[in-house]
Amino acid sequence: MESKVIMNVFHHATWGEPIAIYFFLMGVSAGAHVISAFGWVFGIKRYKPIGLFANIFSIIVLLIIPPFLIADLGKPVRFFYLFLPGYWHGTSPMSWGSIFLILYTSFMTTYAVFIYKNNEKWARVFGLLAMTFAASTHWYTGVVIQLNPTRGLNHTATAPLLFLTGAFISGTAMLIVLFWIKNLIKFGERVGDELIIELGKVMMFGIAFEMLLTFNEYLQLTYGTDDEFVYLKDILFGVMQTYYYWLNVVALVASFVILAFTPLRKTVGGVILACFLVIAAIWGMRHWWVYGGQYLQTFF
Amino acid sequence: MSEQLKENKNTHSEHRHYGIQTPGTSGVAGTKRYGMVIDLRKCIGCMACVVADKTEYDVPLGVWRTWVKVSEKGEYPDVRKIFMPRLCNHCDYPVCVRHCPTQATYKHQDGFVLQRYNRCIGCRTCMVACPYNARHFLPAKRTNMSLPHAVVDKCTFCIHRVKQGVSPACVQACVGGARIFGDLNDPNSEAAKLLATERVTVLKPEMGTNPQVYYIMADKDIMDEVHSYKHRSEQLKEEFNDFKKNHLGMQHGDLIEGEGTTKQIFENLGTFAEEIPHKFLEIGKALKRLVFNR
Repeated sequence: MESKVIMNVFHHATWGEPIAIYFFLMGVSAGAHVISAFGWVFGIKRYKPIGLFANIFSIIVLLIIPPFLIADLGKPVRFFYLFLPGYWHGTSPMSWGSIFLILYTSFMTTYAVFIYKNNEKWARVFGLLAMTFAASTHWYTGVVIQLNPTRGLNHTATAPLLFLTGAFISGTAMLIVLFWIKNLIKFGERVGDELIIELGKVMMFGIAFEMLLTFNEYLQLTYGTDDEFVYLKDILFGVMQTYYYWLNVVALVASFVILAFTPLRKTVGGVILACFLVIAAIWGMRHWWVYGGQYLQTFF
Repeated sequence: MSEQLKENKNTHSEHRHYGIQTPGTSGVAGTKRYGMVIDLRKCIGCMACVVADKTEYDVPLGVWRTWVKVSEKGEYPDVRKIFMPRLCNHCDYPVCVRHCPTQATYKHQDGFVLQRYNRCIGCRTCMVACPYNARHFLPAKRTNMSLPHAVVDKCTFCIHRVKQGVSPACVQACVGGARIFGDLNDPNSEAAKLLATERVTVLKPEMGTNPQVYYIMADKDIMDEVHSYKHRSEQLKEEFNDFKKNHLGMQHGDLIEGEGTTKQIFENLGTFAEEIPHKFLEIGKALKRLVFNR
């Protein structure tokens, strides 16, 4: 028997562009910090010279975030309520995130000071702390979107892992592009081609893991419930097709193919091309998570 | 009586309260648990409840505390209309309360899920969490600026009336007597009697929220999210898109069907970029007031 909804009120998708951009920038910052930690925390000597640059880039990206988050609030003046003892709410993922964000920024800035002073011991301590909170902060961005059972597309335990891996590869890709530009305009000490190619190889493993998780997510939606199938068919391959299929899937696979199988992987140009594809892929991923996840619910 | 109440208790939802969230009181002896039973056999779709609610709270254009969803079923000449009044379900285990980062929303001991405007920062995380679309964001500019603005609002089950012994506005306005409100833990209340004798259903029981708005004779299609998306009339699709285009200042992540997603996302970004200076101007003014006390 035919049945049609003829009247309903429209409900808004409550999170939009500022949140998608925040997820993207937060990931880039956390990813760049991990690269910075290779030399100063894990003691890989050839990565030491790029440590400070990577860290400063990470801080700059992090400083761009607050205007996005604060301006997205209905009451921007009240943003500090998130930190007030009488207001802070332990069961809210957003409350955890605000604390992580503050600690991450503080430890990362202290870490930068110790790198600048060439103090290996304290740089290692604060680098490790900053890395822990970089991971925690980005983990929370995944969790804040995951813990909504009503948003079927987002309600998956792979969300934080996908977000963390995406953060690592997008941060690395962004840094490689910056190193390339830095070399082109001859700004500061030149970053060797070997290091850029090696970073490309490191990124490739991250891309492989990201692809595995994305495939897992696809499988879940294919074999999932009625609404999960609608998310896959009508939203990911419909409304969000550009962001999901062309950017997240095709661009990610293309970057992996370049870095794993083609002779381009041994050239700086090839790695840079893969980096642009990775940046596009993660940009797309952040968007379909935010926009796509909220879409179906607005019609209920 | 307490044994009977214990039996009635929804065991699937036990121990789902976290942190400062008030424990569920549905079926717990010695407590009050206000709820609503909506008898859809009596609903005629007159929208008096919607109007009463709009009037009671000065609810702005484009947002609703309660609304009635309508669907059409059957084939000509055997066609009938189906109504589904909707409002906050005042869940026993409300996810919105769990998600609020500033304790702005909380559950009253008698079961009302309420919003404290003075604490709300307008992050809208509760709206993302709510499975029933029961929350809305009030516009930043209102005719009467002394009313709450740029914060999240929702149905309160008219607690201000209930505490005075009066039924909620929508219940009082209901011409068919379809909305029945009362203490569901009190076996003598009309609502509890209906729950005990009629076959009732709730919206999205799988969410584990233990909603406290019960429907008698609800149609399965109109209660289904996927059906509501897939089987919309062409007119409704157009109405939604017109609404999204014309309802300024509330875009957030809205996407208009049939128009380029990327174009819309860039437009959303543009709108947001225009808002940033205003928002920081607002912070500056607040700081000025704080420092110079004016």
